Amino acid sequence: MADPAQGVLQRSVENDAIQKTGRRRWRPQWTARMALIPAMTITIVCFYGFIIWTFVISLTRSRLLPVYKFTGFDQYVRLFANERWWTSMQNLAIHGFLFIGGCMVFGYLLAILIDRRVKAEGMYRTIFMLPLSMSFIVTGVIWQWVMNPGLGLQEAVRALGWDSFEFNWIVRPDRAIYTLAIAGIWQQVGLCMALFLAGLRNIDPNIWKASRVDGIPVWRVYLHIITPMLRTVFFTVFILMSAIVMKAFDLVVALTGGGPGFSSDLPARFVVDHILNRQELGLGAAGAFVLLCTVIAVISPYIYFELKKERGGRGH
Amino acid sequence: MKKFSTAAACAAFLSVGVSAGAIHAQTAEVLHWWTSGSEQAALAEVRKAFEAKGGTWVDTPIAGGSNARAAAVNRMLGGDPAAVFQFSIGQQLRELADQGLLANVGKVADEENWDEKLPPLIVKAAKYDGNYIAAPINIHGENWMFYNKAVLEDAGIDVPTSWDDFIAAAEKLKAAGVTPIGLGGQPWQERIMFNSVLLGVGGREFYADLYSTLDDDLLESDTMHQVFETFAALKPFVDESSPGRNWNEATNMVIKGDAAFQFMGDWAKGEIIAAGIEPGTTVGCAFAPAVDTAYIMTVDAFAFSAMDGEDATPAQEKMAQVMLEPDVQIAFNMKKGSIPARLDVPSDSFDSCAQTAIKTLQDKKTHLVSTGLFGVPSAVSGAIDDSISNFWNSADMSPKEGQEQFHEAISYAK
Repeated sequence: MADPAQGVLQRSVENDAIQKTGRRRWRPQWTARMALIPAMTITIVCFYGFIIWTFVISLTRSRLLPVYKFTGFDQYVRLFANERWWTSMQNLAIHGFLFIGGCMVFGYLLAILIDRRVKAEGMYRTIFMLPLSMSFIVTGVIWQWVMNPGLGLQEAVRALGWDSFEFNWIVRPDRAIYTLAIAGIWQQVGLCMALFLAGLRNIDPNIWKASRVDGIPVWRVYLHIITPMLRTVFFTVFILMSAIVMKAFDLVVALTGGGPGFSSDLPARFVVDHILNRQELGLGAAGAFVLLCTVIAVISPYIYFELKKERGGRGH
Repeated sequence: MKKFSTAAACAAFLSVGVSAGAIHAQTAEVLHWWTSGSEQAALAEVRKAFEAKGGTWVDTPIAGGSNARAAAVNRMLGGDPAAVFQFSIGQQLRELADQGLLANVGKVADEENWDEKLPPLIVKAAKYDGNYIAAPINIHGENWMFYNKAVLEDAGIDVPTSWDDFIAAAEKLKAAGVTPIGLGGQPWQERIMFNSVLLGVGGREFYADLYSTLDDDLLESDTMHQVFETFAALKPFVDESSPGRNWNEATNMVIKGDAAFQFMGDWAKGEIIAAGIEPGTTVGCAFAPAVDTAYIMTVDAFAFSAMDGEDATPAQEKMAQVMLEPDVQIAFNMKKGSIPARLDVPSDSFDSCAQTAIKTLQDKKTHLVSTGLFGVPSAVSGAIDDSISNFWNSADMSPKEGQEQFHEAISYAK
């Protein structure tokens, strides 16, 4: 938000240094600020305003409609006593770890394979990118069919004669959460691959030449030289995929509906379900706020660390 | 259809344009979530009757119950309410009334003597401060057991009337290679089956006491333990692919003979009729096994907004009156698959399942309410669904643990 303003500001200062005219000193700043007012207003009202409002609501006993009778942290007490909430938070951790990790590993491996100048590179790229054009709802429905033990993969393999074959994770409460990661990775891996590929294509060819001269095996070049150089790409992919994990709602709705039971529920679905279907506005708001705090607690140290490093690196 | 929606759009436009004047006082915008074929056909009967009386009907269908409820509430808060809107009766509706957002139709109700004609439990749920704030249009029953007659005959079993019989029959069916229970593994469907077991094992008084008081002693009682044991005993009789299945797919399993029984509300009849079968013939209907006869009711209702600076009362009252007219009740409910909310309507034209239901409800002791809609506060209803579904899907949870979890979830929600 502040960056473009600063950019303009800096440029204007440079202009000033050259031209040294008083009038030009404030005009660019003024127009820049004017241009930013709508965006600033929207951000402040819609983003920070509603965060505060959600927090306020979470301190009330609102059910169907917002009422401002404050009951302290009662809703949080109820939330933390709720088994479904803890299941969904635990699921968020499992899903987040598997999904982000899976997207990064498979995305990077695919990018490396394509970067090795395979034949028909364009075709592979298209195939891997294709799932991205689908919504999570469509992805969810497709995988629900594939993983349904009665009509999907399990049935198909059994029909071929392998009677003991089992792939019924989607109907097993202890495994259903992994099916989310499978479907999620399938959809998002293409995007990760594209980002990594862009990073790989930016690597100076001289590095390859030098490593070839030194006789370093290809895998070691990737592991010890290229990967550290792609640090910023990893960072971008991590942030993008984290955002998808935190927002994950449609995929779980379409794929498992949170089931069996609530074994594959995620916090976002918990919140929406309580606010819209169960008329538990206060409890849903408490859930949303806890989710926000969790996200900040988990992500911000990493962002801080990465940005500090980057700035420090540039400085010296 | 196209013509119809254009007309509706024009009417909507007109009614907005002249809403300040009282010229179109008989215009009512109706917001509802009945978008499927049979639902639309049923509602068209009400519309026809309303228009025959000189009313103008502005149709605002919104797919999905929770979407439609949210839209109705948002429009009310935004100051542009629909005059008539579909809603569930019970605590949530009373919350709207608390905020002064609703009109009441007490005058019509008194004239038509609703107090005498509707089941007392529904009267209680539809009233706020002694006045009707909603018009209940029908009654659905939730403790039905649909079964495939041919499958039962082949296995040589009679329709079970106790849960012990049912379990014995299910063993036989399973041995014969049929899925005994076609279950859609979604929380609300699992809850419907659980409530049938609760009613069947505990009896109607226990059911009524338990859900009206949510009393700790009842929740901890031995009867409740038996309920959970019986419910747990049903787990092996469901096929592997059950989790996540929609209710109508489960109904089709019974129709095709892949499954023998389904515990579902009487809206399943819609699916049976759509398959070209008259309910009660090759696919039979009976109440779920129980120690005494009872009917777990759930109700569709329409509520009325308080309209600011505009006299919508005549149209709203006319609508309330039309909805509970005996002829409209028959025409509507035959298409909807439910039974009339008024108990004094002749039952001859209904199918045999509905006739049984109407006859049963003549005895007021059989009246029970579903936990899904207005039997308990919606927070408790959600907690019930969650804990039942969790128990049903956790293979290693003992009935005792299930009972404790159920108790705990209810205590936190109430």
